[in-house]
Amino acid sequence: MGDYTWFHDVSWHATYAVYFFVIGICAGLSFLSYGSWLAPALRPLREKAAYGSFALLALGGLLLIADLSQPLRFLNVVNPAYLNFTSPLAWGALNIVFFGIASVLYLLELKKGDEGRGKLLATVVALLALGLPVYTGYDLAVHQSRPVWNTPIMPVLFVALAVASGSAVGSLLAGANDAAQKLLREYMLWSVGAVGVILISILGTTNYGGSAQELTYIVMTTGTMGLIFVGIGIIAGTAAPVALLLAPMGRQQNGLMLSALLILVGSAALRYALLMAPQQLQTLY
Amino acid sequence: MSEELRVSAIETRGKPGLKRYAMVVDVRRCIGCMACQVACKAEYDTPLGVNRTWVPYKVIGKYPTVRKAFLPRLCNHCDDAPCVRNCPVEATYKVEDGGFILQRYERCIGCRSCMAACPYNARFMLPSHRTYTPITNVVDKCTFCFHRVTQNLVPACVQTCIGRSRVFGDLNDPNSEVSYLVARNATQVLRPEEGTKPHVFYIGADRNATEFGRDAYRKPEVMEPERSAFKRHFNL
Repeated sequence: MGDYTWFHDVSWHATYAVYFFVIGICAGLSFLSYGSWLAPALRPLREKAAYGSFALLALGGLLLIADLSQPLRFLNVVNPAYLNFTSPLAWGALNIVFFGIASVLYLLELKKGDEGRGKLLATVVALLALGLPVYTGYDLAVHQSRPVWNTPIMPVLFVALAVASGSAVGSLLAGANDAAQKLLREYMLWSVGAVGVILISILGTTNYGGSAQELTYIVMTTGTMGLIFVGIGIIAGTAAPVALLLAPMGRQQNGLMLSALLILVGSAALRYALLMAPQQLQTLY
Repeated sequence: MSEELRVSAIETRGKPGLKRYAMVVDVRRCIGCMACQVACKAEYDTPLGVNRTWVPYKVIGKYPTVRKAFLPRLCNHCDDAPCVRNCPVEATYKVEDGGFILQRYERCIGCRSCMAACPYNARFMLPSHRTYTPITNVVDKCTFCFHRVTQNLVPACVQTCIGRSRVFGDLNDPNSEVSYLVARNATQVLRPEEGTKPHVFYIGADRNATEFGRDAYRKPEVMEPERSAFKRHFNL
């Protein structure tokens, strides 16, 4: 062995995982800003969440462009003459553009203080924000040759991760606001619970799949990737925050903050592992 | 190739009036000389570390009963190509008459979505440093030697194959050699379960070489220096 060797690189590197993380929080914060129009307890978070979401959108957009090997051609994805609507990336690019425009209008309306139009724009922004995790999940799900990615539940998982990480950042922003923290605790608990259930489902079906699925399961649960996915993502970032939030300490500010931090670290690790691990096997085919 | 196997509208095999080029690789005749790979490199000046065609092998059996199973690889020019579906800017497209899957370099944004979509690892990113051409930092792949085939020549790898292991032709022409080989031999394609309808057919391929095995993730240590060199070369 080793006299002639060929190596293949993974298609998407860690920058993309960071983008998933950033854009997930961005969507989650938009949900919170919209939620503030429905739940008075979240009112103090309205502006903070909206500005935070916009800042993260700018950061995410830059990450996405920088990850292209031809960054200056990023405008091709919004060129109507080039757009290929069978590609989830094309829909994603349009979603990001419309989300950005709607966010700017929403921020301007927040400055003006018009309640009616503000609520309407918050709804539009939240709907477009929902498209961000949906498209990122769908972007992975369409690759039929990749175990783990190729599951219809992937967009749902990314929505749950967005709600979890957005609520976690919201909890860090809310500080000593008890009413907001009470609501955010519920959001974190249910969304992280949903993430856990979806991950169990994905792991189960992957382990029962064909040889590629079985090998990907081994990659995801052993070695360094196993430490990231199972250790940080599932145990520290999903199971531990659920246990903490259910415990009496989880109703106090310190417990909530700790849960929020664990959720953020865990959701970053999960996104990294979900992106990178299913690509490993393919590089060796 | 029977018309009955056609499933989706994008497929052109068996369509009257259209050519559908395919390659048949008789691995029983492959001696692993890598001349196909060298011819391809010479034809396209493909940079170091990446290949439009390559010939991986596996050592099969237990000493003293061992042999090398070669499996020449290239883009499968799928009839229902996932890379075409996934490209957000239509930089990858299918030439209907011939079935070539080609790349528009000037349009490619380098998002690597096509690379992620390809089940065959047939696509690669061109490095930023190339000597004789300004085509850099875009995705590249085998073109079935479109420029040669349209001049009534066969692809460079087929031209040079000393064992006549590679045969190229129009599958929609019932009198072509590839039609004859596909009709008269038991053939297999790589990863048929993906539904891509690949158009590289293998005769005599060993399932040890075509399927994922446990050694896929058990990387031999002897390869580590080369793996490190590859990663350094592409700044990975």
